[in-house]
Amino acid sequence: MAYLTQPDYVRYICTCGQLKPITSLYFCRHCLKIRCGFCICHEVDSHYCPNCLENMPSSEARLKKNRCSSCFDCPSCYHTLSTRASLVQPRQQEGAGDGKVENKHQKKMYYLACFNCRWTSRDVGIPDQPVASGGWPERPNPFATQINQLLEYYKAIALQEKQEKIEKERKKFAIRGKYLTLTDKTGLTGAMARNIAGLPSSDSGSSSIIAKFVPSQASAEVEELPEDYFTKEVNLNQITSMPQRLLSPEWQPTDVSRLHPIAKLLSVKRSQRCRECDHNLTKPEYNPGSIKFKIELLAFYHIPEVKIISYEPMKAGENSTVLLKLSNPTAHEMTLCLMNPEDIPQVDNEEEQLENSLEKSLTLDKESAACKPAAAPAWRRAAAPCVRAVGPPVRVSVPQRDDAAEYDDDATHDANDVIVWRKANKLGVRLQVATEAAASRGGAALLALALQYSYRNTVPPAANAPNQRNHILYTTALLSLGNVA
Amino acid sequence: MALYEGIALIQEKQAVVLDLGSEYTKFGFTGEAAPRCIIRSQFWCSTERRFKKVYEYSTPEELYDNLVNMLHLLYFRHVLVNPKERKVVVVESLLTPTLFRETLAKVLFTHYEVSGAVWADSPRMCAMTLGAPVTLVVSLGAREAEVAAVVHSCVVLRAVQAQPLGAAAVRAELLHLLRQDCGPDLHLPDHVLEDITVKTCFVSPRARALRWQSDSPPEPARSVRYPLARLGAVCVSGRARELAAEPLFRRDNELASLPDIVLQCIMQCPIDVRRALAANVLLTGGAASLPGLRARLSQELAHLCTLPPYSSRLRLGEFKFHRAPAHDMSCAWLGGALCGAGEAGGGAGGGRLLSRDVYCRERRLRDWVNLLDNTPPHHPQRDHLDLTL
Ligand SMILES: [Zn+2]
Ligand SMILES: [Zn+2]
Ligand SMILES: [Zn+2]
Ligand SMILES: [Zn+2]
Repeated sequence: MAYLTQPDYVRYICTCGQLKPITSLYFCRHCLKIRCGFCICHEVDSHYCPNCLENMPSSEARLKKNRCSSCFDCPSCYHTLSTRASLVQPRQQEGAGDGKVENKHQKKMYYLACFNCRWTSRDVGIPDQPVASGGWPERPNPFATQINQLLEYYKAIALQEKQEKIEKERKKFAIRGKYLTLTDKTGLTGAMARNIAGLPSSDSGSSSIIAKFVPSQASAEVEELPEDYFTKEVNLNQITSMPQRLLSPEWQPTDVSRLHPIAKLLSVKRSQRCRECDHNLTKPEYNPGSIKFKIELLAFYHIPEVKIISYEPMKAGENSTVLLKLSNPTAHEMTLCLMNPEDIPQVDNEEEQLENSLEKSLTLDKESAACKPAAAPAWRRAAAPCVRAVGPPVRVSVPQRDDAAEYDDDATHDANDVIVWRKANKLGVRLQVATEAAASRGGAALLALALQYSYRNTVPPAANAPNQRNHILYTTALLSLGNVA
Repeated sequence: MALYEGIALIQEKQAVVLDLGSEYTKFGFTGEAAPRCIIRSQFWCSTERRFKKVYEYSTPEELYDNLVNMLHLLYFRHVLVNPKERKVVVVESLLTPTLFRETLAKVLFTHYEVSGAVWADSPRMCAMTLGAPVTLVVSLGAREAEVAAVVHSCVVLRAVQAQPLGAAAVRAELLHLLRQDCGPDLHLPDHVLEDITVKTCFVSPRARALRWQSDSPPEPARSVRYPLARLGAVCVSGRARELAAEPLFRRDNELASLPDIVLQCIMQCPIDVRRALAANVLLTGGAASLPGLRARLSQELAHLCTLPPYSSRLRLGEFKFHRAPAHDMSCAWLGGALCGAGEAGGGAGGGRLLSRDVYCRERRLRDWVNLLDNTPPHHPQRDHLDLTL
């Protein structure tokens, strides 16, 4: 819960330069790099209705304009509407039969009601429906005919332009071949031939649409305010608000009596992809009710986690001690080294390229043709760390995660001035830090801490790639240690 | 060939149309009659824990982040399609800052990897919804009123007029009037002012507006008790309801009122289209839905024509108004949807499409203010322009 409710005291620097807590980072096992929501590619995986949790194939979703056919929202307060049933007595001839017969004729009719604001579909005169789900009348767009006419007109113009262009090109570069075509022989034009054959003429089709098109007509008469406008009482409850209007962009009703139930907008499950190697980082399960993933390469499962246990107040120009908790989430033992960010060796780009040459050769094409995402704002702009680790680098080894170890006895205390305690895959370390003398009092005390860690890659390597399983990786975290005292 | 073309049309993904207004964003598909969503141009910023407006930026990087967040919201929460390999029609004002255009292009092409984009200016798009050859587009947006003459699908650039007479001006005046009634320390958030304007305000006819300035003001319309979330209620007087939109028509020595800029736009157009422009006025934009605004503008224009400096230079005849087949707010969007559908069926484009490859090579957008784009090909100055840039 601490991850959700508390501020992010520890933020990692993503490969793209963004600062994110470990819970919102991903780890690409193929590039061995940290990724975040900003530098990965999001994709729509499947459509579903968030209310009835019904899956909808994307072709059907496209047809239904991404709306569920059986769930509706209240147009007045946006709450989900409920279907209510009422018994109706069909009209009877007078004095016909006794009570039993009447009961047989009773029929259930359904209407929609909002339990939040008491709006019902009967309020606006929508007739009750004989079936519980769906079948609600659809409203046509008030401008549909005009817009269809315009669409046809512009499509016809585009087609004509295209044809004229082709015609022009052909005339320019027409090289008469040695074979005569039918039209050359007979002097028939294409259109005439089509006419004789009884085919709809292709050419005149578009031109007739253009000829028949009637543009909008302007009028000198503009609607004036009605006479009684200045004396009429305004009932705010009868006028819709802007959000209510914009909920249905096609109609934008101004009158409360014109509100219609809003078909529920579908939601999507997203899968996420590494931009560099195109591998999936997360892929959800198809079932909308499931919150599990088929693939989830979260950083939380792959990179060492740093937590702050306690710290002495930071004073400008002085040293202090910080107690940190390090944990190893992987299934392999991890050697960890805490150091300063500038001690991270610069990776030689060429060497790296050689390493995964196959992957590169596959993506090289794409990358050189396309543009890579612009370097995101450097984290330095957002934060200026003024605290740094001092003394020899802290080098520790953290055992792998073992679920059974949870039941073990208390932590073992190493008699060590670096390691404070050990427990399963976690350990507490003591770190000496120094605050810059120039740090301003009251400013945020940020510690930039680089982590060198060993990582065992469990992905089966590509056929001709070198089988390298153990890697030394680096990441940098920014720790908030209160304010400079 | 026809067969292949058919397949291409089916495979072609339906392009999306984006109109990023300063207050509301309209987003949907080409060929459709209305946008799929009209939402406020803002997103939840988790680091700052508040809703942040897209136009709230001080650095290009901040704008880049804002646009990435906004487009993510539009694509994955509202329209539910993959942005990748899909074309976009961007409807924009002619006066959009270069930084904004370039950053939006960068976000679309590099972050979302769209396959192509068309930049379409809103006056031309508004005119497309009518199909009329000559149109005078008066668009009242959230911040600015823009007047542009569209003659045969070309905007008369030198005649474009803009003044800060949008919905914001009406809201500022409304707050000013309410403070006169309820005391100077009345504070109302912007969305409440918007709601009051939308629900209660109107524009009175010219004759009545003149009487407000005279010694015998007319009987005001009914006042409205507008309930507030926490503070009880505010009384919106008939006077405030009626006079809130007056700043649009207030004339001063600058000749910068709404009817003034309409006439100035006509005056700067070629003489042979002026009459046609006056007979084909299209009033659009979110702020144009105020009851009575069209009628008042018509009356003001008719009156203003008889005054100097216009009376001696313009012989316009009657002003006629169009009705676009869309709601005021989504008119320019609809034009974009028609434009995108008209050009090459499912895709947006033809010659005006900027494809991703071309963008990656040139890294810039065509712009009407740029000499590189508006110098004719055989102009002597053409050689002095550094084309390698
Ligand atoms: Zn990132
Ligand atoms: Zn549903
Ligand atoms: Zn409700
Ligand atoms: Zn990757």
